[in-house]
Amino acid sequence: MAADIQTFGYRDSGRRVALVARQTLAEALRLHLAGLFVVLGIASVLMVLWLREFNFGAGELKFIADFGLGATGLLGMLLSALATAQLFFDDLESGFAACVLTKTVRRWEYLAGRLAGVMALLALFVAGQALVLGIMISVREAQVGAAFVPLAVFLQATALVWLKVSLVAAMTLLVCSYAGSALFAAWAGLMLAAVAHLRSFTDQASWLGWLRIWPNLGLFDVDPLLSSGHGLTWDGLLALGAYWLAFTVLFTGLAAYVFKRREF
Amino acid sequence: MSGSHEWAVELAAFGKSYAGGWTETRRWAVADISLRLAAGQVLGLCGPNGSGKSTTLKAMAGLVTPTRGDVLIFGAIAGSPAARTRVGYLSESVRFPTRQTGRELLRYCAGLAGVPARQVEGRAAAALDWAGLGAAADCRLAVYSKGMRQRLGLAQAIVHEPSVVLLDEPASGLDPEGRLALVALIRDLARQGRAVVFSSHLLAQAESLCDRIALLGGGRLLAEGTPAELLGAVRPAPPASSPLEKLYLEKIRGR
Repeated sequence: MAADIQTFGYRDSGRRVALVARQTLAEALRLHLAGLFVVLGIASVLMVLWLREFNFGAGELKFIADFGLGATGLLGMLLSALATAQLFFDDLESGFAACVLTKTVRRWEYLAGRLAGVMALLALFVAGQALVLGIMISVREAQVGAAFVPLAVFLQATALVWLKVSLVAAMTLLVCSYAGSALFAAWAGLMLAAVAHLRSFTDQASWLGWLRIWPNLGLFDVDPLLSSGHGLTWDGLLALGAYWLAFTVLFTGLAAYVFKRREF
Repeated sequence: MSGSHEWAVELAAFGKSYAGGWTETRRWAVADISLRLAAGQVLGLCGPNGSGKSTTLKAMAGLVTPTRGDVLIFGAIAGSPAARTRVGYLSESVRFPTRQTGRELLRYCAGLAGVPARQVEGRAAAALDWAGLGAAADCRLAVYSKGMRQRLGLAQAIVHEPSVVLLDEPASGLDPEGRLALVALIRDLARQGRAVVFSSHLLAQAESLCDRIALLGGGRLLAEGTPAELLGAVRPAPPASSPLEKLYLEKIRGR
């Protein structure tokens, strides 16, 4: 009866992860939450046109980029935590996760797929924001007759924003693996993201030394790129990518360890 | 533990407890249940709310780990890879994502259940047709009736052709017509040689459908056997009562 069912092998893990990721992205795109953030994001980027009347002591083009990417990062972190928690607990509370997890999909594959789906959603969000921002900067460059940073540097800055918000998704997923509600998981994920921005204080206060074990989201700050107009070196990019990958794998692995023992 | 592979489902002194809070003692949701079910048979788990039906089904599905005893699916520990390829499960009152179509959902479930990629489309279509949902396959689940969603739940449980099908309160919330359709599908599963275990409050339905019935109360197995064996133990009942209901009430009140 089940003779031709594929075995439980790891060879098919990629396929199962991809299935869950695609399902997650489809569910996420149908969430009103995602649409709301797109609207908020575009509105915040367009708000720059009004705010540029105020002089913040920086060049206009840099201000546009700083504000736009900053808003993208902030909204991206909110979307990251909320979407991860909402999608995870929707499945759990509806009973659908129980139906799915009795099949041959492993729990870590399910989590990895959920995370990959949210990362894809975040990629679409950040890319969309960056596109609007990029168009605004290009138009202003032509109007004021000044050049801003090269496109490659702007794209690197956009990628750094995505890496940062994706890491927040991984942190939130870890909380989801043991939490009892989407609200708690989302807030805890955001608090952990806030903690990850405190690394610069560890030099000033020795009692904050424990923060060194937590990822430093300050490493993904785009200001150095936008201020200097120079992108990261290849070594720098690889190091940052490896740093991101290590923590993403760590958080996902911890989440899988906890989730494997979770009962329904 | 017999370790015999002839039994599709085997529970040997199965018990499940949950840790209490700081001031509560450990609570036994299920204590010392032993059952066996062969392929092609239908087992009904009957009992009041809190009697341990869902916990027992979840243990068979591998969703909870036994605190005591063993739960085996064709000799393999429930929840192990070998067991999970042979089990299909429908949880109680499940809510599927409403913005998908039935076909999309079945494709997703078939893929996760290990159906080869080239067979996913065919299996999903076959499962939908079997459940009487062929015409509604491409409609969003938001427009499905309660009966249709329950049948879809059955379809996702059998899309990978498991040998054991576990259904938690499948008739919950269904009208009489919906229940009849469900009964017909469950009978068909047994005819196909699958072992079916379902929980229900509807004793008359269990009496007519099941090869074996297990009456649970307070997490314990109060009585188990074929309907004829169970009804043979019943004292003469007033004509208005269902004999199985009478036995059920005697067991529940007598413990």
